[in-house]
Amino acid sequence: MKSKPSTTPRRSQGAAPKVVKTKRTRTRPTSAAAPRPARTQGPRRSSRLRAWGRHHRAMALDSLQRLVRTPLGNLLTMLAIAIALVLPAALWLTLDSARLLDAELEESATMTLYLDHGVSVAEAGRIDEALHANAGVISTRLIDPEEGMAEFQRSLGLEDALTGLEENPLPASIVVRPRSVEPTSMEQLAAELGELAGVEEARLDLAWVERLRHLAELGRRVALALGALFGLGVLLVVGNTIRLAVESRRREIEVVMLIGATHAFVRRPFLYSGAWYGLGGGLLAMGLLTLGNHWLSLPVAALAASYGASFSLPALDFLGSTILLSCSTLLGWLGAWLAVSRHLASIRPR
Amino acid sequence: MIAFEHVGKRYGGRFEALANLDFRIERGEMVFLTGHSGAGKSSLLRLIMRLETPSRGRVLVAGHDIAKLHAGQVPFYRRQIGVVFQDHQLLFDRNIFHNVSLPLEIQGVEPREAARRVRAALDKVGLLHREKALPIELSGGEQQRVGIARAVVNKPAMLLADEPTGNLDPQLSADIMGLFEDFNRIGTTVMIASHDLALIARLRHRILRLRDGRLVADEGAA
Ligand SMILES: Nc1ncnc2c1ncn2[C@@H]1O[C@H](COP(=O)(O)OP(=O)(O)O)[C@@H](O)[C@H]1O
Ligand SMILES: [Mg+2]
Repeated sequence: MKSKPSTTPRRSQGAAPKVVKTKRTRTRPTSAAAPRPARTQGPRRSSRLRAWGRHHRAMALDSLQRLVRTPLGNLLTMLAIAIALVLPAALWLTLDSARLLDAELEESATMTLYLDHGVSVAEAGRIDEALHANAGVISTRLIDPEEGMAEFQRSLGLEDALTGLEENPLPASIVVRPRSVEPTSMEQLAAELGELAGVEEARLDLAWVERLRHLAELGRRVALALGALFGLGVLLVVGNTIRLAVESRRREIEVVMLIGATHAFVRRPFLYSGAWYGLGGGLLAMGLLTLGNHWLSLPVAALAASYGASFSLPALDFLGSTILLSCSTLLGWLGAWLAVSRHLASIRPR
Repeated sequence: MIAFEHVGKRYGGRFEALANLDFRIERGEMVFLTGHSGAGKSSLLRLIMRLETPSRGRVLVAGHDIAKLHAGQVPFYRRQIGVVFQDHQLLFDRNIFHNVSLPLEIQGVEPREAARRVRAALDKVGLLHREKALPIELSGGEQQRVGIARAVVNKPAMLLADEPTGNLDPQLSADIMGLFEDFNRIGTTVMIASHDLALIARLRHRILRLRDGRLVADEGAA
């Protein structure tokens, strides 16, 4: 205790955290009692940061090595993760291409104004002119009755069946491309244009666009629900694997906690394991998606061709791959975090 | 350094493992803790290590009530204490060097500096030539000395040992105690639980005697 006065001045460190203070008071006298190399007086921040980085690197490597040491079991875990990821990812991809389709549909969203029967061609032209003045209209196309009939016949494939008709039953019509394709504003515009003199009816064929939208919305929700559900599955798979890993290293954990390891220190290698599982699972999922794409692309192309369309299966692009891999890695990390944290509470050094 | 103030410890609400302990240990002291099996020696050490908290009273270390340390501070507190166990708690999948360097790894000591300190500690316990060996390749006495090297590698101000010579023959036990005396000589506060009465008596240090959780004798206080 006689060393105390000589060292007291060094101690005035203001409001240092309690533990640090405890440490100083306790370290000092020993080093004063016998000349020893000075102990780390609470390493400075930069060296602490370096130590932290060093441990991260070491643990990332160490957990990777542990994975490689038992390749089969770990591959199976990753495969389970991959399978859980493939379904929502595939659905998401499909929806993504459906969104493109949707955009095309919006391009072609139009309404048709059917004119009164008595309206002459000149009058129809004037109405068409007048429509251009309307701010809600981008462009119009005037279809006279003959044209209308020809289109009608062509679309039905009944070239001759109607030629016998005495009189053309079709009125002249104007196809209007509206500025806004929002259902409500289109309906408003249709109501407005329907009131114009000489217009018999403004017809808005939105039903199928709507139906498709609803379908896409349904698909989106299903994908989201599946994503959440299968994400939970990934958490469980990783969590269970990590739980076993923690259990198998229980003694080691107890010992390091006994000699002053923080929870973060104990958790770190397991978090990296979880992240590796997630990343591996994500990569496998990408492989499975590519495989599925190859497997299905031929019949899909043939099917599309038979409808006279060209449609190719959507593939993961760079952004998609990045998102998939980050999500899977994050899920693995989170699963590990949950498992270790739950477990650490139950591990108490003996 | 350590002060027990009317400390009691109950396990499971009823059983009283320690009762009304009241004593002080000064900085740089070397103290033996003795008593029959079940007397509460380990419990007392676990209180100091803050593996347990007292059911009543206070344990002060360097003037601080360690029960008040919150969970995040406890690891940093434990780093200030070197602990030696009867079963030495070595990790069997790491060699001697890496067992001893464990506390330094935990504290993030730079590897070159850590290696230097590990070798110094191993040298001190006379096992420098075995640094590459695995724990199972060593004898019981050697394993215990590795445990001691690990306990002192970060130069703690306080060294606790729970029956460190429990499994060793008299000669090895005397060697181990000699090591503890060496560390005490350079200023480390040392507290050793042991029921090897003959050995303890020969060493002439302060002895705290426990019986059924009570302090029944405090002999040879410096
Ligand atoms: N974690 C515990 N839970 C319940 N009882 C315990 C626990 N640890 C120790 N004890 C009891 O406390 C008493 C003192 O034990 P201990 O401190 O290990 O004594 P010693 O180390 O002197 O042999 C013993 O009766 C023991 O059974
Ligand atoms: Mg005991």
